[in-house]
Amino acid sequence: MLHQKRMPIVSVIIPTHSRPHLLPRAVESAKRAGAGVEVIVVDDASTDETEAVCRTLEGIKYIRLEHNQGVAGARNVGILASSADYIAFLDDDDLRLPGTLDKQVAALTSNKDAGFVCGPMLMADQEGNLTGEVSGPRSSGEDAFWELLELDFPAMPISVVIRKECFAAVGLFNSKLPGIDDWDLFVRLAELYPVIVLKEPLSIYRKPTSFSGQGSSAQAKHLSRILPHQLNLLRLPRVKMAPLNKQREIRIRTINRIADTLLWNAVQAIGDGAYRFACINTFTALRLRPSRAFYPRRYRKLALALKARLP
Amino acid sequence: MPIVSVIIATHNRATLLPRAVKSAQESGTDVEVIVVDDASTDETAEVCRGMSGIRYLRVERNQREGGARNIGIINSTGDYLTFLDDDDVRLPGSIDLQLKALTASPEAGLIYGQAFIADQNGLATNDFYPPRCPQGDVFWELLSQNFIPCGTVLFSRSCLYRTGLLDESVPGVEDWDLWVRIASLYQVIAVDQPLMVWRKSTPASQQATSRAAQMAKMSGVLLRRKWLKLPRAAAGPRDQRRHVRQEFSRNLASHLVFETARALAIGHFSGAQKNALAALRLHPLASVRVAIRCAVRFLSATARGISLPADLNKGFMHYKRTKASK
Repeated sequence: MLHQKRMPIVSVIIPTHSRPHLLPRAVESAKRAGAGVEVIVVDDASTDETEAVCRTLEGIKYIRLEHNQGVAGARNVGILASSADYIAFLDDDDLRLPGTLDKQVAALTSNKDAGFVCGPMLMADQEGNLTGEVSGPRSSGEDAFWELLELDFPAMPISVVIRKECFAAVGLFNSKLPGIDDWDLFVRLAELYPVIVLKEPLSIYRKPTSFSGQGSSAQAKHLSRILPHQLNLLRLPRVKMAPLNKQREIRIRTINRIADTLLWNAVQAIGDGAYRFACINTFTALRLRPSRAFYPRRYRKLALALKARLP
Repeated sequence: MPIVSVIIATHNRATLLPRAVKSAQESGTDVEVIVVDDASTDETAEVCRGMSGIRYLRVERNQREGGARNIGIINSTGDYLTFLDDDDVRLPGSIDLQLKALTASPEAGLIYGQAFIADQNGLATNDFYPPRCPQGDVFWELLSQNFIPCGTVLFSRSCLYRTGLLDESVPGVEDWDLWVRIASLYQVIAVDQPLMVWRKSTPASQQATSRAAQMAKMSGVLLRRKWLKLPRAAAGPRDQRRHVRQEFSRNLASHLVFETARALAIGHFSGAQKNALAALRLHPLASVRVAIRCAVRFLSATARGISLPADLNKGFMHYKRTKASK
């Protein structure tokens, strides 16, 4: 035990910004997720009592940033502070399931080539109750790079463990890409390293709603940021070596997927009564793929949801 | 003595790199040299394998200067950090000297010094930059002008836990941005003597800093969108913020006029045109004033038979009449 304390095996980096009521739960879940865990809380210039709350938490490394860096910048500082060989991330409102870090670290130590290991996540509503949905990669990870490129591989920072030395080869989180910095990093990692996919659920994700004011509530903005950046990622050497029509197919499938996701969220937003959010999503979807407007079936759900709301 | 990590980001400069590495190793007693090879396509990897006592990190996908330095920072173990460019040279013993001064003043976060200016062949001249080193609380002064040569800076690792890492989205001025963030929280001290030899870029040298107009534009955006919104600046008096903006435009315009003159002196006309336009847009009056001073200097230099490009290399701060010197 003493040995573990001196040399942690895995660092869990929790960036937080003004959410002191949720943070202790996340920290507790991270500590119970494995042996030799080092919890690093990066307080991204919170303006409330986060600092006082963190001072009461035991056994964590607390880092206080005086200038707001955004999630990507805060995660990078966490990597700087970590003294372990493996890096995991957690958001202040999400949870890690017990024992999961041990399993992921074991998977990485048994496969020396792999860059990161990920797996399914359980979805929870705003109060933290499980909704029964599970989101995770459907494949076994051989084509993770291509699936990630076209958004067909749901990996999130809260469910991955990354080998720290891989950051030296591909770089850190890009703070220029708020909301999609994690996707960008995973694509770059998967380009060079194999990805391990575990079958059992690893973490609980508090799903954002149209009103929750979480970073991911601004979905239309983030999703439309993906497309210009995907062009950069399509310039990676591994893509360049692939046939040209593969690039084109990836591009088309990505645009369709984003448009469909936006429309689906618009339907749900109407159910919640968030009409502004629904409008933004619908218009963004139409702008991305105008031809989809001619498939009326895609809008049937939207129309039905609207009808249900009308008196 | 605590370990100092020297982070050398390099890209396709295998011939210059060994000189920089050797100078870094000789500049202090407990020095960890980290070479971050930013996806070089030349023989950098072989050259590095031949060098002893360095940590070599290979970046497979080009991250540019800021990203490569951040990778170096993440992998460093020293309590103190310093950057060195692959074409610059640290003077022997300079890191020990700075370390002693920095550990002696606990409230300081960063120490810097002067740099000898060298030509493109790396031969040092007698000129150095900056002419004088402001010390103490330099936050406001640093907003209007970057007087800190990147290679001379030694700062404590703990600073980064409060300010964050380098901002990769502002290539060319990411160092200035970090100094500003450090200076807003810590005291800055300096040693009034040259610590390194700085191979200054010329408008044609293809170094990152040769694109003066582009960098000026980027730092203008940084000042307005980021620096003036830092808690320290936002809480400062309004007059001071206005004063900083004016000083910033004036300094940058003068700098650009200088770069115009340097570009003209070597016959690099497209660069000169870009710089001149950027200068006029920033601060027309200051641009014209500095241009006249340059012309006078040029005439007197030709009369005395001094080579003008060498004189211009000193930079505009040598030409500036500072209030302190009066």
